[in-house]
Amino acid sequence: MKDELARTAVPRAINWNRLQDEKDLEVWNRLTVNFWLPEKVPLSNDVQSWASLRPEEQQLTIRVFTGLTLLDTIQNALGAPALMADAVTPHEEAVLSNIAFMEAVHARSYSSIFSTLCSTREVDEAFRWSEENPHLQAKARAVLNTYAPGADPLKRKIASVFLESFLFYSGFYLPMYWSSRAKLTNTADLIRLIIRDEAVHGYYIGYKFQRGLERETSERRAELKDYAFGLLFELYDIEAKYTEELYDGLGLSEEVKSFLHYNANKALQNLGFEALFPAEACAVNPAILAALSPDSENHDFFSGSGSSYVIGRAVATEDEDWDF
Amino acid sequence: MLDRNDSLTEGLDYHALNAMLNLYDADGNIRFEADRLAARQYFLTHVNQNTVFFHSLDEKLEYLVEQGYYEAEVLAAYPTAFLHEIWAAAFAKKFRFPTFLGAFKYYTSYTLKTRDGKRYLERYEDRVVMCALALARGDQALAMSFMEEILSGRFQPATPTFLNAGKKSRGELISCFLLRLEDNMESIGRGINSALQLSKRGGGVALMLTNIREHGAPIKGIENQSSGVIPIMKLLEDSFSYANQLGARQGAGAVYLNAHHPDILRFLDTKRENADEKIRIKTLSLGVVIPDITFELAKRNEEMYLFSPHDVEKVYGVPFSEISVSEKYAEMVDDKRIAKKKINARAFFQTLAEIQFESGYPYIMFEDTVNRMNPIAGRITMSNLCSEILQVNEASTFKDDLSYDHLGTDISCNLGSLNIAKAMDGPDLGATVEAAIRALTAVSEMSAIDSVPSVRRGNDESHAIGLGQMNLHGYLAREHVHYGSPEGIEFTSVYFAAVAYHAIRASCALAREKGESFRGFETSTYASGTFFDKYTSRDWLPESARVQALFADVTLPTRADWEALRTEVMTHGLYNRNLQAVPPTGSISYINNATSSIHPIVSKIEIRKEGKIGRVYYPAPFMTNENLAYYRDAYEIGPDALIDTYAAATEHVDQGLSLTLFFPAEATTRDINRAQIQAWKKGIKTIYYVRLRQTALEGTEVEGCVSCTL
Repeated sequence: MKDELARTAVPRAINWNRLQDEKDLEVWNRLTVNFWLPEKVPLSNDVQSWASLRPEEQQLTIRVFTGLTLLDTIQNALGAPALMADAVTPHEEAVLSNIAFMEAVHARSYSSIFSTLCSTREVDEAFRWSEENPHLQAKARAVLNTYAPGADPLKRKIASVFLESFLFYSGFYLPMYWSSRAKLTNTADLIRLIIRDEAVHGYYIGYKFQRGLERETSERRAELKDYAFGLLFELYDIEAKYTEELYDGLGLSEEVKSFLHYNANKALQNLGFEALFPAEACAVNPAILAALSPDSENHDFFSGSGSSYVIGRAVATEDEDWDF
Repeated sequence: MLDRNDSLTEGLDYHALNAMLNLYDADGNIRFEADRLAARQYFLTHVNQNTVFFHSLDEKLEYLVEQGYYEAEVLAAYPTAFLHEIWAAAFAKKFRFPTFLGAFKYYTSYTLKTRDGKRYLERYEDRVVMCALALARGDQALAMSFMEEILSGRFQPATPTFLNAGKKSRGELISCFLLRLEDNMESIGRGINSALQLSKRGGGVALMLTNIREHGAPIKGIENQSSGVIPIMKLLEDSFSYANQLGARQGAGAVYLNAHHPDILRFLDTKRENADEKIRIKTLSLGVVIPDITFELAKRNEEMYLFSPHDVEKVYGVPFSEISVSEKYAEMVDDKRIAKKKINARAFFQTLAEIQFESGYPYIMFEDTVNRMNPIAGRITMSNLCSEILQVNEASTFKDDLSYDHLGTDISCNLGSLNIAKAMDGPDLGATVEAAIRALTAVSEMSAIDSVPSVRRGNDESHAIGLGQMNLHGYLAREHVHYGSPEGIEFTSVYFAAVAYHAIRASCALAREKGESFRGFETSTYASGTFFDKYTSRDWLPESARVQALFADVTLPTRADWEALRTEVMTHGLYNRNLQAVPPTGSISYINNATSSIHPIVSKIEIRKEGKIGRVYYPAPFMTNENLAYYRDAYEIGPDALIDTYAAATEHVDQGLSLTLFFPAEATTRDINRAQIQAWKKGIKTIYYVRLRQTALEGTEVEGCVSCTL
């Protein structure tokens, strides 16, 4: 626990050369090299492809993205800052502020997609939908409750991991599905950049949860585990309804649910808990599962920007390098 | 085995089956059979059901000509009996696509479709035959040999040729265009217009910006007037995205700038992750021309001077690009009339590497290496969109009404590649090369780009072509030779020497038949004979037993053969000014079932993503769960072995080779700089992309994913 008194008494500068937890630096480095802005992706190349979607497919896509925008907004404005207050090391705080910022970038990205592909009226309608949709509101509220001031720090982390590693994925499914059918491929690139970030966020927050858990009594540990599974059941319930409402029209609900199971297990794994759903229930369509990995994709440079470039570490050359 | 697969793959569509390639099975094996099932499923559930059916070949051809799908002239050049014969011969070969991506790519992007885009009018054999008939222009024996070379996979024409040949409404057959821009508004305006015209017809366009005066340079003597190269790049970027070939593919363009141009850092910064929207360049490709002197200055850790092109042109009376910066460097530094600024040479290289980390760009052309190895008189000042075309050009000048005052020459190039494995399998490497040279020459003769007269003139006078190679890694792996091993490099050297011999032999035969050589032959080192010195002063034959065995069934040119060829060429000339160029081969290597170009594979299972096909998975050719050891990928192989392999090939290629460098994301800018220095030292001519691979943070990877594991 942080010593609030000492902190107010002696403001301390962060020293990255004195690490309490190596993981902070490792994740910091990963997050900073992964920095990106939505302008990098030539979304306008998807305009033709967008026009080839049926109206109901377009509406679904916009709705899915407004749902994702809401989650990113929560994580940026409340989630990451709430976790920051619980940070054990100054480096953890720094990592969380990076996470908070990137969540803002993600929320911003969806608006880039909207402004490139859709009309204002359609977008306004979708935002209204997101405010009125009971399932979307319910999942937002379930997470927000745990972020409330004075809430249990470890419970906050549990909710946060579920948000990062589980709740996003009913939405992520759709752009991956489109891209496996050669539609909206640049949009999918952008989403894949977001997935790349969220995977690290969920992993890191889960890691911090596990470190926190180690310091608790066995009764507390059992309580937290019960809480985690309880919350997951609650969220899964909402998520299943949300999924049906969105995807029944396309006949994809069953597939999306397998994807949810897969990611729910992933979220539990991040928290250090055993899987909930048996492997048979997690048989994700291979086209979607394989689409998740951004690495080593061999893209055609002339139609997209790819998601594997990063900001490199600059190291000056030495005399010995110029030996000729 | 099959039973288990059936239950696993039941109910999956072809995309899902294909994606299973990227996911290991329970025993940790790659599921190659899933991909074969995907290809089969694709034909059963999609292609066959969407192909227009005809009762006979006659009915089909009649319909396609009548409806304006096929060019009537192509077919009219042959008697009907021959058409029956060639089609029957083609279908008798029982061609099957070995991978899902090959089939999918072909039917998505190449085959002839009904105008609503919904139904297929051609099978693969039809496309090959039409291509052969169009290029052979009535010569039956030649048509038959083109068909056999292409259908067997030994020779594969580049996309624009393979896609368009024989179709009535089509784009150009040419792959690539290179245009000069000079330091005046007429030339810039004409350049943008040409970019639009060429993009509309297909093919990538590269433009040289080296001669454009820099930001802040005077206009009509008034200081601080010019806006430099960036606004021109913006105009070009928008032009390319505006002009696409009926939506078939996005226009694509590149711009080249000399490293000693004062705008060089602004030019590079357009690709920064955090560049302002006003200057950010998203889809235009960048290339930097680097002379030897820049390396010398960096070695001595000195400043490098950047020279105002406007002043250089005033002082020397020729555009900046026509000056060898290495040669005139000291002179220009001392000349007060030339405005200049300086940056640290090592810092320049570091910036270059930083930008490459963030974007993969710029390409690099080593200017002095390229010009030293050029057999043709004149200067090479730029390269193209894929950095393999290296030819001389000549500036045009314009009158006030934008018509030509002097019509210069710009560059176009027709490309096609041999599949090394198939070409080695025989029956006759020399005949295969000759057929390829004749097919590429036909493309040059059939093309007349009237919308850009400087390109037309360049093509008419040079008949420049670029024969490439692909499937080097696939071939070596099949033969159990490691890519980049001493045997791998020895094979590369011997193979490319043999190809060079046959290419020159074929072009000389063409010159003799046509009684005509390319313009400028007399001043080339082919005419003086010195080009052949390195082939007549030593052998280019295999030395190790392993490589000798690889060539056991191939007749290789001896020193005496080269001697004889020298005499032939000096007597009869050469028809083509340029013969070889090794392109990166994306799409066509998937259709042809080859590894790209002479690169190592990027991954055992390659994830291919393109606008039109989405995300598809491609297994390396000839790979099985047993021979995986020979399929180390480019990131594992590292830059040194790759550079050595390319250096061995470069020796025998008159133009360039697209060489991509591969690094793990943990590399630093210094690692990239070292590889660049190494490439330059080894005589590499150009560097294409820098590619990075980031491994997933432990704990965040997708489980059981083939392309994610190292």
